[in-house]
Amino acid sequence: MSWIPFKIGQPKKQIVPKTVERDFEREYGKLQQLEEQTRRLQKDMKKSTDADLAMSKSAVKISLDLLSNPLCEQDQDLLNMVTALDTAMKRMDAFNQEKVNQIQKTVIEPLKNLSHRFGSVFPSLNMAVKRREQALQDYRRLQAKVEKYEEKEKTGPVLAKLHQAREELRPVREDFEAKNRQLLEEMPRFYGSRLDYFQPSFESLIRAQVVYYSEMHKIFGDLSHQLDQPGHSDEQRERENEAKLSELRALSIVADD
Amino acid sequence: MAKHGADEPSSRSGSPDREGRASEDRSLLHQRLAVRELIDTEVSYLHMLQLCASDIRSRLQQLPQGDLDVLFSNIDDIIKVNSRFLHDLQETASKEEEQVQLVGNIFLEFQEELEQVYKVYCASYDQALLLVDTYRKEPELQRHIQGIVEAVVPQAGSSGLSFLLVIPLQRITRYPLLLQKILENTVPDASAYPVLQRAVSALQDVNTNINEYKMRKEVASKYTKVEQLTLRERLARINTHTLSKKTTRLSQLLKQEAGLIPRTEDKEFDDLEERFQWVSLCVTELKNNVAAYLDNLQAFLYFRPHEYNLDIPEGPAVQYCNLARDLHLEAFLKFKQRLEGLVWQPLCSLAKALLGPQNLIKKRLDKLLDFERVEEKLLEVGSVTYQEEAARHTYQALNSLLVAELPQFNQLVMQWLGQIMCTFVTLQRDLAKQVLQRAEGSMAQLPHHHVPEPAFRKLVEDALGRTSNQLRSFQETFEKVQPPPTTQLLLPGSERQVQALLSRYGPGKLYQVTSNISGTGTLDLTLPRGQIVAILQNKDTKGNSGRWLVDTGGHRGYVPAGKLQLYHVVPSAEELRRQAGLNKDPRCLTPEPSPALVPSIPTVNQVIAAYPFVARSSHEVSLQAGQPVTILEAQDKKGNPEWSLVEVNGQRGYVPSGFLARARSPVLWGWSLPS
Repeated sequence: MSWIPFKIGQPKKQIVPKTVERDFEREYGKLQQLEEQTRRLQKDMKKSTDADLAMSKSAVKISLDLLSNPLCEQDQDLLNMVTALDTAMKRMDAFNQEKVNQIQKTVIEPLKNLSHRFGSVFPSLNMAVKRREQALQDYRRLQAKVEKYEEKEKTGPVLAKLHQAREELRPVREDFEAKNRQLLEEMPRFYGSRLDYFQPSFESLIRAQVVYYSEMHKIFGDLSHQLDQPGHSDEQRERENEAKLSELRALSIVADD
Repeated sequence: MAKHGADEPSSRSGSPDREGRASEDRSLLHQRLAVRELIDTEVSYLHMLQLCASDIRSRLQQLPQGDLDVLFSNIDDIIKVNSRFLHDLQETASKEEEQVQLVGNIFLEFQEELEQVYKVYCASYDQALLLVDTYRKEPELQRHIQGIVEAVVPQAGSSGLSFLLVIPLQRITRYPLLLQKILENTVPDASAYPVLQRAVSALQDVNTNINEYKMRKEVASKYTKVEQLTLRERLARINTHTLSKKTTRLSQLLKQEAGLIPRTEDKEFDDLEERFQWVSLCVTELKNNVAAYLDNLQAFLYFRPHEYNLDIPEGPAVQYCNLARDLHLEAFLKFKQRLEGLVWQPLCSLAKALLGPQNLIKKRLDKLLDFERVEEKLLEVGSVTYQEEAARHTYQALNSLLVAELPQFNQLVMQWLGQIMCTFVTLQRDLAKQVLQRAEGSMAQLPHHHVPEPAFRKLVEDALGRTSNQLRSFQETFEKVQPPPTTQLLLPGSERQVQALLSRYGPGKLYQVTSNISGTGTLDLTLPRGQIVAILQNKDTKGNSGRWLVDTGGHRGYVPAGKLQLYHVVPSAEELRRQAGLNKDPRCLTPEPSPALVPSIPTVNQVIAAYPFVARSSHEVSLQAGQPVTILEAQDKKGNPEWSLVEVNGQRGYVPSGFLARARSPVLWGWSLPS
């Protein structure tokens, strides 16, 4: 038998204060923002470390190609320099790989995990929010029903229906309030706990840089010493380059342009 | 000065000494005059140069600076050198006896400088003449220039500028002649003689070298330019002449390949060329590799993880953001700029410089083939045409040019490459230092900065593991939020309907509507929330599994599957009903007679009091709405099912069965309804 739906009205009084709604939306919004930022951060970190690795590999290629040039066989000084350079580049590449591994383990993976968890929390969170919404609607509907009966003339059947309606309303109201309260508690807690997630990763990231760049400073410092490079300023170096170019251009076989 | 009485030619005439001495004196006089001439002409030469360089040049300001540079070339350098030269010459004037020897020595001293400075001037002289010609074509300009020249140097006459510009050429070619004149008037056994001889040949060498240099420069500038010709231009260039040249060269090459004629082996050149090829390879590879490195650096700087806002106001996250931002904006940027300026730019210049020699080497090979053919012809015929001679000459010029300059080129390039690589290393070191400074500063503010690295790594691992678990528990928290309880309470009047459906379809087929359904199509049903239906098909006629065909007990139609939820009915209720065989109060469900729960239902089926009830006797027990109760018997002592014996709050008593309802208890995790 088809059941004619009871006309559901809106309750007269505002059962959920605007501030509560606003709080709720704010907390939910913050979580959404956090989820998006985490996801994008993780992607960017991955791309950044990939570029870092590529840079290191191309540095290694520089010295490798130099080493394989036949000129090195003939010129001992050149060979020494290029060999020293090649050793340095290879060592740096190894340290870089180590650095990237550490970052992978302590930053990228946790971020991915976090993003994934956030991703999977959100369906559950959304479901919880929906259920709260559902509860709110039930609450509103039943509240309206109670108000409707309260307005009517207080006859016997009406009183009985009023009583029944009130009885129906109470659990629903309590359910909504419980859900609301829980979400309003849990969401900020969840949001607040992000500090626990991110701080170790970032600490690790900074430390990994220190380890790597210490090595880099030492290796290239030593190499620089070995190659007997005077400490010229950039202007001096530019002038040296100009001078060398002029020397080359002075040759007739070099085209002037 | 000739020594008296030494190595005199033996006099045979009557007064031999006097005659000899007379001719000696004459020679001496001529010698002195020649020296005098040298110095005097040097003075006026220098004066003329200075007039040109300062007076005339400054008045020709309306000409563009580029033109002036071509016209006057390195006249300032010439003036510098010749000033010192003159000064030294003039100093010898006091040294009477040794003057000639000193003069010779001065020439020898200045030989190198004179060559260096005059060869440049001479090489650009032709171009200067071309410019003068173009000026002649503009009457206004020509008059203006002529006016200036005549004002400063009246004796220039109508030839004007060209008269002036040729003067250094004339001078440098005159030195050997002047010296020769002095030499002729010097006694061979004089100590000055060998010096003078060397001076003469030295200055002759200077002139030869200047000519050679000029010719090489001409040949080089003809062939070093890499011409950017369009296809049309290239086609236009082809004429019978070029075609015949090319076919001749090709046939020459083929003959060589076939072994019909010997190939000119030039081991020296081949080695040189091979080395040049390796040097080229070095430069090209290095340039490409540095380009790749710069690209990757660029990509690295593109990603800015520190720009994401995680809303963390302090601690390592903030440290990291500040550090990364600093590094990106300063350390890495500076590194990139230095790399581009001090490594990349020079490499580009080097790569460009390679083109000239590469072209010349190619041309030389072409000309070599020409040369060989001409040599052949010479052997066969004994004479060659003018063009053939010229071809021969060109090859020789090219060859000697390359042989002379390639070694220097190779060496210069390798030296420069070495410098560039050293710079690269220094840049890396500087970058490391910059980053390290900042990173160490950041690290000092970290909470665990005092912890050594291995211990720290363990710490991080543990922390991450903990937070991972924490995350998971949050996820579970949210998953446990249950649907609202009212869904489970049945609407009035539906008990009978449910039983009917149950008996017709069985327990597994019953679903409850979770939210109001308003049907749109003719076959769609409109149902309120809470209604129980039985499923007939889990898809519609088109195969859409989101639309189910259901039976409400009175009507059949389609409803969206998403709004249905499986409805669990305890099977024993049915048995009870059949046993009792009575109509039930529409407001109640038959509660279980015993606490046997259906195992398939995961949640606890809780019976609760739907309405409050005040006990009126000691047999009855009071109820509060929502209170959970345990049903002991579903009927009273007389078998009347309208009353049930229940236990609630530790008390037992009878309550109206209609005041009881079964609700799926959302009891978990603090959601329990107040008792």
